[in-house]
Amino acid sequence: MPGQNTVRILDGNTFVVSEDSGDIEATPNEPTGLFSLDTRYLSKWVLTVNGERLNVLSYDDLQYYEARFFLVPGMATHYIDAKLSVIRERAVGGSFRETLTILNHDEKAVDLEVRMDAGSDFADLFQIKDEILNKKGELYAEAESDRLRLGYRRGNFRRETVVSANQPARYDQRGFAWSLRLEPNEQWDAVIDVQTFAIGPGGRDLRIGLRAHGVERLALQHDLEEWISRAPKLNSEHEDLAATYRRSLVDLAALRFSPLSLGGQTLPAAGLPWFMTMFGRDSILTCLQVLPFAPEMSKTTLRILAALQGTRFDDFRDEDPGRILHEMRYGETAAFEEQPHSPYYGSVDATPLFVVLLDEYERWTGDGALVKELELECRAALRWIDKYADLIGNGYIWYERRNTDTGLENQCWKDSWDSISYADGTLPPFPRATCEVQGYAYDAKMRAARLARVFWGDHTYADQLEREAAELKRRFNQDWWVADRGFYALALDPDGRQCDVLSSNIGHLLWSGIVDEERASSVAEHLVGPRLWSGWGVRTLAEGEVRYNPIGYHNGTIWPFDNSFVAWGLRRYGFNEEAATVANGILDAAAYFDGRLPEAFGGYQRELTKFPVEYPTACSPQAWSTGAPLLLIRTMLGLEPHEGHLAVDPRLPMGMGRIEVLDIPGRWGRVDAFARGRLDLDELAE
Amino acid sequence: MVDMATRFFEDLDRRGFEPLLVKTSGTLRFDLHEGPHTTHWLLEIERGNLRVRQEDGEADTVVGTEPRLFAELVGGEENAIAALLRGDMTVVGDLRLVLQVERVFPGPPDSRGPRHTFGGRGA
Repeated sequence: MPGQNTVRILDGNTFVVSEDSGDIEATPNEPTGLFSLDTRYLSKWVLTVNGERLNVLSYDDLQYYEARFFLVPGMATHYIDAKLSVIRERAVGGSFRETLTILNHDEKAVDLEVRMDAGSDFADLFQIKDEILNKKGELYAEAESDRLRLGYRRGNFRRETVVSANQPARYDQRGFAWSLRLEPNEQWDAVIDVQTFAIGPGGRDLRIGLRAHGVERLALQHDLEEWISRAPKLNSEHEDLAATYRRSLVDLAALRFSPLSLGGQTLPAAGLPWFMTMFGRDSILTCLQVLPFAPEMSKTTLRILAALQGTRFDDFRDEDPGRILHEMRYGETAAFEEQPHSPYYGSVDATPLFVVLLDEYERWTGDGALVKELELECRAALRWIDKYADLIGNGYIWYERRNTDTGLENQCWKDSWDSISYADGTLPPFPRATCEVQGYAYDAKMRAARLARVFWGDHTYADQLEREAAELKRRFNQDWWVADRGFYALALDPDGRQCDVLSSNIGHLLWSGIVDEERASSVAEHLVGPRLWSGWGVRTLAEGEVRYNPIGYHNGTIWPFDNSFVAWGLRRYGFNEEAATVANGILDAAAYFDGRLPEAFGGYQRELTKFPVEYPTACSPQAWSTGAPLLLIRTMLGLEPHEGHLAVDPRLPMGMGRIEVLDIPGRWGRVDAFARGRLDLDELAE
Repeated sequence: MVDMATRFFEDLDRRGFEPLLVKTSGTLRFDLHEGPHTTHWLLEIERGNLRVRQEDGEADTVVGTEPRLFAELVGGEENAIAALLRGDMTVVGDLRLVLQVERVFPGPPDSRGPRHTFGGRGA
């Protein structure tokens, strides 16, 4: 994994990860390089002057799409006397552009040999992630008079990197160079362009005409400014909160991704560096989080997921009719079906959540036209829940992968292999059913009933959905309740035995509304009780469980996105102080990450570490972590669409001071929300 | 003997309507290249209504493959999106049309779908 000193810039699914000097020297299993379409297009990019590597004085990641590096020749011990400055400025946006500036501060002229070593291994992101090294195709490098062409060919599959510069250079197969003479105080500049191609047999690029916005720096800047200006303004006495909000908005802009099939519209990609692609679950949950701030993302996400909804049985892709996709990839392993992501459908929550998002989106925006447009897809999704997901025939959503080679074992959000266990730590057989997914199914049916009644004019169907939902709720509360400990089991095994561990998933149950009123307070107590609550957030798995590990990926770490839905759930059932506690803890943690919450951080007790410990290989920025502060703000302010208006019912911790969110878009036009922190959370803890 | 492509297009033409394409309108031309010989199929879609002609006409999207691959695509043995990423199938024009029409192709013949374990076990 990249260490602390990596610099990342990105635009959609093109991104560059480099050392702090701007150099890229990727080893086969390290995700540094220039990436696009899940393929590494540059694995080597090393600048030397007179054969010497450069030393970094400072760097700036000015915007998500650009960075600047200030360098001097020589090693740290003698650079103080440097008579030369080198500045590298780079930006991504479709292609990758680097501007080199060299300044001679000496009183005499200097002769310089400036060289960039360039190379590419064209690794598929999956090969890097899983450390698979043998490429089946052929790498080539062709030096032309005005460019260097690096390529990879396997059958008709061709990917090419073309490097050129505005200053005539000498190109060879390993890079390019300039011989310069700089007079005293003279400055020299060169602009280097690195273009990435995915070439079909006709010589055309797969991506032609698919840009969401201009690729030029100015266009990117303009686009970002417009994005920020469209979003509501947040004013707060709490400086960290304002900074976190701004960081989230910018990162969300960076993570916008334009899939090949959408003709330039964007939806949130999941996260850097591994997940710069479309995920059903991540994209939907992120859209739900950011609805009050960026509602238009939901529309495109719903449309693209609908357009790619499953239509047939495909066991390799775990596809069924009506199922919403899990993950789409564009690299070599997807192309040659060494991985199933073309697309892969192995998730059981994306399908009910698709329906949930459509309803929530309409409640905010009043866009009934989209509800009508997506009626067939919604019905197909609901049919999938009943017909194809109920593997046991007892009314629940189950999963068991049919692709036993490269498919996912756990098809819920906690998708690591050991995330679902019994209290004794052993893993259950398949099929498995996790609790939160049943909640989503309940919510999907309740919400679809409203859509059927209001927009599809089908009252019979609405009544049927409500009956089914009520029956699901009744049986769920019977089968999943761990009576002696007062919480819901994480999962059931095929014999109906409970995976009776205490997990954060019970917070999602509150969000979905499937929890019986009289049991809600017990669930809420657990969520902010000593076993799940660390002081920063709710742990994925409670301390004291056999598999608990404060840095276990889904067995003890704290996921900001998870917490944002937990907080929303607590508010839904009226546990306002508890919701504020969760919001406060996560937003406090965000300040330690400069407002950019990682995918996950350690579940250590807050008093023990004093600061949140980042999970070692966490992705950052990650869409649903970026969305978490926005949903927490919504939750604290109690923003809720209500009969065509926006209801505001703030419950803020005292330390938050005064918050105002201006120009919240929705069916009401734009309205403002004001709040002042009044809750004493310390009192609550006692 | 009638080849797979002909059977596929004639079947579409006979059906005349495909519910999966009810939101789709546009014209696709499939160019099946075999050496110097190219067979053209023109598929017109008007909100799910289909019309097929075996001719080389103007289209919003032109798809190019070898006849053998195309037969495997419409037989479910091969997947169109993977073939596109691999470069074995080319698309000029509106890619969205291909992704919509691709959904009409069947799944792999040996795919069995979800394995239900009704009866016996259960909560």
